[in-house]
Amino acid sequence: MVLKEVLAKEKKTAFMLGNEAIVRGALEADVKIVALYPGAPTSEVLDTFSDALGTFDYQMEITTNEKVALEVCAGAAFAGIRSLTAMKSVGTNVASDTLFVLGYTGVRGGLVLVMADDPHAHSSQSEEDGRFFAPNAYIPMLEPSSPKEAKDMVKKAFEISERHRVPVLLRTVTRVNHQSGIVQLDEIKRSEFKKVKWKELNEEYATLGAVARRKKLRMLERTAKLAEEFENSEFNFTKQVDSDVGVVTASVSYLHVLEALKMLKLQSKINILKLGTTYPLPKNTIKNFIKNLKKVIVVEELSPYLEKELYAIAKDVNPALAIFGKNSGAFSEAWEYNPNIVAKGIASAMGMEYAGHKAIVEEATKYKEIIPDRYPTFCAGCPHRATFVALNQALKIQVAKGQEHYFSNDIGCYSMWIFPPISRGDSSLCMGASVGVANGLSHVIEERVVAVVGDSTFYHAAVPALINAVHNGNKFTMLILDNSVTAMTGQQFNPSTEFIAGGRQGKKISIEGICGAVGVEFVEVVDSYDVKGNVEVFRKALEYDGLAVVISRRECALYGDRNKRRRGEKIVPFYVDKETCKRPYVCLRTFYCPAYELDEDRQPRISPELCDGCSVCSRLCPIQSIKRTEVKA
Amino acid sequence: MSLNIFICGVGGQGLVLLTTVIGNACAKSGTNVVTGEMYGLSQRSGAVSVHLRIGEDAFSPLIPYGEADILLSLEAIETLRYLEYLKKDGVVLMNRRIMHPPIETSKIITEKGSKYITLKDIVSKLRGWTQNIAIVDALKLARESGNVRTENTVFLGCLSALEAFPVDEKAIRESISEAVPKKTVEQNLKAFDLGKKSAHSSLCTLVPCRPLP
Repeated sequence: MVLKEVLAKEKKTAFMLGNEAIVRGALEADVKIVALYPGAPTSEVLDTFSDALGTFDYQMEITTNEKVALEVCAGAAFAGIRSLTAMKSVGTNVASDTLFVLGYTGVRGGLVLVMADDPHAHSSQSEEDGRFFAPNAYIPMLEPSSPKEAKDMVKKAFEISERHRVPVLLRTVTRVNHQSGIVQLDEIKRSEFKKVKWKELNEEYATLGAVARRKKLRMLERTAKLAEEFENSEFNFTKQVDSDVGVVTASVSYLHVLEALKMLKLQSKINILKLGTTYPLPKNTIKNFIKNLKKVIVVEELSPYLEKELYAIAKDVNPALAIFGKNSGAFSEAWEYNPNIVAKGIASAMGMEYAGHKAIVEEATKYKEIIPDRYPTFCAGCPHRATFVALNQALKIQVAKGQEHYFSNDIGCYSMWIFPPISRGDSSLCMGASVGVANGLSHVIEERVVAVVGDSTFYHAAVPALINAVHNGNKFTMLILDNSVTAMTGQQFNPSTEFIAGGRQGKKISIEGICGAVGVEFVEVVDSYDVKGNVEVFRKALEYDGLAVVISRRECALYGDRNKRRRGEKIVPFYVDKETCKRPYVCLRTFYCPAYELDEDRQPRISPELCDGCSVCSRLCPIQSIKRTEVKA
Repeated sequence: MSLNIFICGVGGQGLVLLTTVIGNACAKSGTNVVTGEMYGLSQRSGAVSVHLRIGEDAFSPLIPYGEADILLSLEAIETLRYLEYLKKDGVVLMNRRIMHPPIETSKIITEKGSKYITLKDIVSKLRGWTQNIAIVDALKLARESGNVRTENTVFLGCLSALEAFPVDEKAIRESISEAVPKKTVEQNLKAFDLGKKSAHSSLCTLVPCRPLP
């Protein structure tokens, strides 16, 4: 990222990531409050806002979770102040309690919620289709296909939000958030940040019972007006050719359609309706598009959201229309699309011969049989690796004593424990759920339950489950891996450090303090790197007849490296002393560090470019042959 | 016609920065560009890939299978992982460097007869797809530039030697200077020059290049 482009005050052409374009759009729209919790693929929205904080006049919070983020924005928007939050769609699940009510209460200021779906579950636990939040909560929704559209739509979303007094969803997918392209920047004109007088606004935002019933009717009226307005939206457009076949599409699928038509040489043979306002749908626009067609192909990832509407609309206006999509078998509800998948679907709908991509992919697969997998893994120097080495040893000791275990994992870097060569984990669901399910499991299974949660996930969603465990006397072991930052999404600050958005001073919230305050009687804090010492602590925590919490603490290696560089400290790598190494391979067998490989003598070798100097492998070596490189003073 | 470059490597090698430098240079020189970036779950040491497409008729952020003109790989094993994107007889521009994933090493010490994959193994497989394979010792050139983290910039230098690479060298150099940390600008420009020079002894024997000044 080159922040300079996001910050440029003048009009210009720039190359930007979708997430940066979203920030740029919000800055051009004079956003005043942003509140976010990081989550791929939206994390760069947070990072960019955080970096731009010194340049523009807005308030920013990295909140404890997505629900709080939306509520921070709602608070601002109640008072008429423009606010924005961005989250992955599974984060919207957390925020949805508030979202549904905001449909009823509405807002005064512009409130934009950027919600990113992750078809293919690249970095999520599910392929959730968040679009259904929009009709369910009566919240209008815009869907960009590119960074350029994302920027334009954010700006428009603020305007729509204010005019209709309702939050607006900007729904993206990974391939929009992580797509870069050319964006035309408009001038940035910022107003001064000023507080307003609540009393003078004369607003109220309550809803319950009879009030909710009254507001429901208002909500329906608002939606009808939005539907009417969206008939003329610039975000819905057609590419007309002389043909009785059409494609209806939205989001990044539109770009795949353009590519696929080029591949199939059908550019002048198929009409396109590209939808940008996907709730409420511009039904007349769709009617006009399909009324004279013989065939329509609906191209959208995940659920048949548009397709079902197409069936309903066609029933009135063109009952003979042949509709191709997921129902016809031309497309799948599973996984993300690409130009080849879209070309195959369109070709099948057109009854065309199309060889597809099966042959080329199969041929390539043949050549790749020799390559090893490269699973996501812990970085060199990662404290989690050290924690798990000690935990494994403790578990082994307990197994020898007859105690067996259930391993309840959670969302964060530590969730990578599920990948080979380690492949450990009985369950891993969603933020904070490791502790929630540990409560239930502790009632019904004979094994000792071990729940693992990171610092950010602890604050986000695990605290209620912990309180529940104490209150109900549930017995299990809880490991809190405190590496100071929300590491997996790019080391954002959270209450585990004293820093807040933009690196400003905030207040640190003590994890052991919370555990003590809610009444956990067994709380131990250890240094993640002290593997040998930690085995005994973990073992005791496994044996303890009650709820035992161990906080394994050491800052994220990448975050630590950044701090070291800032302080001017060198990262000093370790090396294996070839003279003394007898190749017991303890380092390799237990540690799986990516800085390690074998040399031509099958002796372990540490890549100095990759080694983080954490020292943990040297502490594990039984013959002390892993040494710190000597640095000349 | 668009130029499609599939870029791959290992997390931490600076693929995204490489993409940003090219993208910014395109924006400066009024050339259309679109990319699709995949960072993976892990912050470091995982597989990372970028679809980079330059030109007016590049629509999707993803390159269709078999349509990449160049498969640029900052780590040798990764080259094979994305082979289906490369045109038959397309250009492979790859790093000599191999970063063995922990799972491979752990297999070697537990399974008798198990061996590391070698550059020779990789190249022999690649030859089934294309004969246009240029190998760069980017780590060595990066060291020569004074900063081992400039492997990505070495490859930028290689790309800029190509006649088919439609981005002005001046714009690329400017873009490097803006994108990298201030203290490393000199080293990066040197890495760029070293990359460009090295292309003339490998890459340019396979595909048309701009003459050296």
